[in-house]
Amino acid sequence: MDFDVINVTTTDELCSAIAGNLNNNFRIGAGYTDLILELKQARVQDLTIINIAQLEDPSFNSIIEKGDHIILGALVTASDLVDNKKIKEEYPVLYESALSVASTQIRNSATVGGNICNASPAADMSAALVALQAICNILDSDGRERNEPLVSFIKGVRKTSLVKNEILKSISIPKNSSSHIKSGFEKVGTRKSMEISIVSLSYHIQCSSEGTIEKAGVSCGAVATTIPFASSACNFLIGKNIDAISEIERIGFAKKVLEYAIPISDIRASAWYRKEVLFNISKSIFES
Amino acid sequence: MMKKELKVIGKSTKKLDGKARVSGQAVYGHDIELPNMLHGSILRTKYPCAEIISIDTSKAEVFEGVECVITANDIDVNNISYKRDHPILKKGTVNCNRDEIAAVAARNKEIADKAIQLIEVKYKVKDGIYDPFEALKDDAPRVNEFGKGAEKFGNKNIAESFHYEHGDLEGQKAKSKVIIKKSYELPRVTHACMATSNITADFNQLDGRLTLWSSTQVPFLYQRDIAHALKMAPSLIRVIQPIIGGGFGSKLDMHPFEPICALLSIKSGKPVQILFSREEEFILSPTRQPMVIELTTGADENGKFTFREVEIIKDNGAYTSWGATTPFVMMQTYSSLYQVPACKFDSHAIYTNNPFAGSFRGYGNPQATFSIETNIDLMAEELGMDKGEIRLINANYKGEITGQGLIYKTCGAIPALETVIRKSGFDQIVNEPKTGRYLRGIGLGSMLHVGGGAKIYRSDGCGTILKLDDYGYLTIVTGSNEIGQGSETVLAMIAIEELGIPMDKIKVINTDTDVKPWDVGVHASRTSFVAGNSLLGAIKLLKEKLNSKASELLDIETENWDYMDGKMYFGEFEINLDKVAREIHFGPPHELCTVSYFYEPPSSFQDKEYKGDVSGNYAFASQAIEVEVDTVTGNINVLSVHVSQDVGRVLNPIGLQGQMEGGVATGAGYALTEEMIYEKGMLKNPSFHGYKLLTTTDMPPVHFYPIETYDEAGPYGSKGAGEAPLIPTAAAIANAVSNALGVRFYSLPITAEKVLKALSEKKNELKLERVYFKMSVET
Repeated sequence: MDFDVINVTTTDELCSAIAGNLNNNFRIGAGYTDLILELKQARVQDLTIINIAQLEDPSFNSIIEKGDHIILGALVTASDLVDNKKIKEEYPVLYESALSVASTQIRNSATVGGNICNASPAADMSAALVALQAICNILDSDGRERNEPLVSFIKGVRKTSLVKNEILKSISIPKNSSSHIKSGFEKVGTRKSMEISIVSLSYHIQCSSEGTIEKAGVSCGAVATTIPFASSACNFLIGKNIDAISEIERIGFAKKVLEYAIPISDIRASAWYRKEVLFNISKSIFES
Repeated sequence: MMKKELKVIGKSTKKLDGKARVSGQAVYGHDIELPNMLHGSILRTKYPCAEIISIDTSKAEVFEGVECVITANDIDVNNISYKRDHPILKKGTVNCNRDEIAAVAARNKEIADKAIQLIEVKYKVKDGIYDPFEALKDDAPRVNEFGKGAEKFGNKNIAESFHYEHGDLEGQKAKSKVIIKKSYELPRVTHACMATSNITADFNQLDGRLTLWSSTQVPFLYQRDIAHALKMAPSLIRVIQPIIGGGFGSKLDMHPFEPICALLSIKSGKPVQILFSREEEFILSPTRQPMVIELTTGADENGKFTFREVEIIKDNGAYTSWGATTPFVMMQTYSSLYQVPACKFDSHAIYTNNPFAGSFRGYGNPQATFSIETNIDLMAEELGMDKGEIRLINANYKGEITGQGLIYKTCGAIPALETVIRKSGFDQIVNEPKTGRYLRGIGLGSMLHVGGGAKIYRSDGCGTILKLDDYGYLTIVTGSNEIGQGSETVLAMIAIEELGIPMDKIKVINTDTDVKPWDVGVHASRTSFVAGNSLLGAIKLLKEKLNSKASELLDIETENWDYMDGKMYFGEFEINLDKVAREIHFGPPHELCTVSYFYEPPSSFQDKEYKGDVSGNYAFASQAIEVEVDTVTGNINVLSVHVSQDVGRVLNPIGLQGQMEGGVATGAGYALTEEMIYEKGMLKNPSFHGYKLLTTTDMPPVHFYPIETYDEAGPYGSKGAGEAPLIPTAAAIANAVSNALGVRFYSLPITAEKVLKALSEKKNELKLERVYFKMSVET
């Protein structure tokens, strides 16, 4: 590994670092839990790292409430999410996904923004945020901002919609409209920690006080080149009572989720297993 | 042997090197820096099977910072490995993904790595052969040109064969009420040592001596092997062992990178260091033997075992390491684990273009035990017998002389089995109904392993030199070495016990072949047994000296002195130990308090039929393991492990518990998750991401119940205990999974995918049965 490092501490410095390197090969680094591994393998020449780990802008590194959204700065770490009471209580899917990332040491460094921008279909926090219908807030080096739903922001394996002068600043998730929620993250892997999902299922379902499902967000990880939002599975749930989902409906729901799975076979699991286990966990979330 | 009351032995004592290891002070091979030291890097083949057309090193040679480059053409060496079928640097052909073609020494590691990339090798790529069964076919190409298979074993690709038998096989078959024949497939797994392989070599051109800082487990055999490889006199080679970050058998063989490093130092005239990256460690360090075992076993109507017949095909890889001799251990297990009236054993190690396997804690025994214990469960099921009972009525017993000639002077097999059955609640769990998403099951596995060394070399001994200085400090210079197993702590405990010298006045020196007396090395769970006995022998000599001087000084007639707290006591008489040492030194006879002793265990070499009492004593153990299978994901969660082991006598409880937990961790990984995945000879998962070593969060509680049988051969009655805890783990887990699911697995690891596949097949079978039932009702 051989690269130059530019350290930035303010957003202005960040923007000028990006603007000044548009003709160079540069990468943004924050938690480095993915980047270091990638650079070790890649042997890239003439690389510059713009290090934003010490960036002091609250819009990048804090969790705030604004209007009907919760905004997560891109530099918020998995541990920050795990330690946040509101996230734990109101967005169990996000809490559980953050808790399932690797190990304590890695969670202390790994950032939400990095998890998203690395654009791995197996990324746990990204998968939870897709189910939460999160919006990406993107900043460019001229200070302009744009928003894009996360589900379309991730374009494929290691591909996002970011262009070279853009950086992910924060992620907005809509506030719950109900306090009656069923929300969780199911991770399938070989080990209990230090594991990349073989398959994951994220779900965040909001109900009326009587239990009628009003809103649903479901996504599946590691079964396609992106993290698909399973809209037909979500639609299937709307109007049903959360406490009275029959066996046939569970199978129907699982089949809908499975429509989004186009998995590959690799050293971690076969495509057959990924489909089988996605079906099984989808069906299981409504079992008592 | 009666249990003698002891003061230190049997009490938990922290590892002597514990503080240095956890605080980062410990000096590993990676930390060594010598003046003018160069860094080496090795160019390895791009293809697992190819002809080398040409090697052009010219660009590397002129690269700034490179001091020397070597290829096979620059060196005058012998082949290495157990069968001497392994060239250190390859020319002509390459036979597996590890093959070394050239090496560079340069000012720093980066330059060396870059220079390696500048070496141009032209290959003619060949298909290669990666399946041992394919390699056995007549039209298969010959993999290793040095192999003697055609002359010795009737097939050019057989690297090593073993045949063993005892008893009346046909007669016992006729007696059998049930005969089970099954085929088992065992994966390739690796040791995953936390410290990667490393060596630093320093050749002195003035005196022709070579010093190696090496993490070998067997320094004196290594010294001899390096000497043979480099055509040097062994005594010119000094082997120093820095702290070793994990051995587990991986450092029993000498590997090509080690003589290569020495050759770079010889050629450059400077010290050279080679360190492996984690990826190299996965690709290049040895593995456990993958194998296919076909096992047939029988039992009579009462469940008494009648015979075992086994045929094993092992993937030897391209070269032959010590690992090819694992049948020594496997035939012991097949012939002598439980009472076995008749046994026939054949094993063949087959050359392929896969990487060569090496030795690994357990040495073939986990594979053998997995097959035997599964067959036992199947026989019990067919006979309608309890799985605990069938094991108990066949268990080994004190006084037994097995078909192979092992003599069990002490034997804790039955109490170990009874203990784990009782403590785990086996009878209740095994019979409980299995319903719901999470299915619980329990399984048993037992094992037999050498407990008092193993005579596989002409000497299985160990030397000790003791030095009691003028100030009452004791230096123990032992031939044995510490690879993390805790033996140096046990040696210090023995010295405290016998001489009453406090721990802070004891030094253990065990890292330098120029200083320490001979020992065969760390393997076969032998160190505490052999080095402990050797130390006790030396202490006896030292005491004779001290006793007679103390009696002389106090003018009393006795040889029965007690040693405590730095003093010697006899009745109301007492004298300081350091004073006695000084009087021996400064007064007549003007000697130093130094003694030397060599211990050779009472074991014997096996005869040509592989029969004989090969170890000083034998260790027995049973495990009962409880698992929970998630039928939604197929994941298997190990809930608890109950281990009962005949350790002869507990020397250091906390150290022993550590061995149990470490062994179970390795055994559970072998059972459930670990597998090196190869595609045409190339490793696809050379990282901890892809290779699923279990972590602490996966570890179940390990309940350990030692069985103390006080075997007179061992120090204080103890037996070797190091390898045993991983040997029956995979077997017990596999039996537990089968109990939970009602489905058998004949290959390891039992992955979540295999579980879901088996469940889906079972579901389909049930559906089919229903259809047939419906059809038969309708017709």
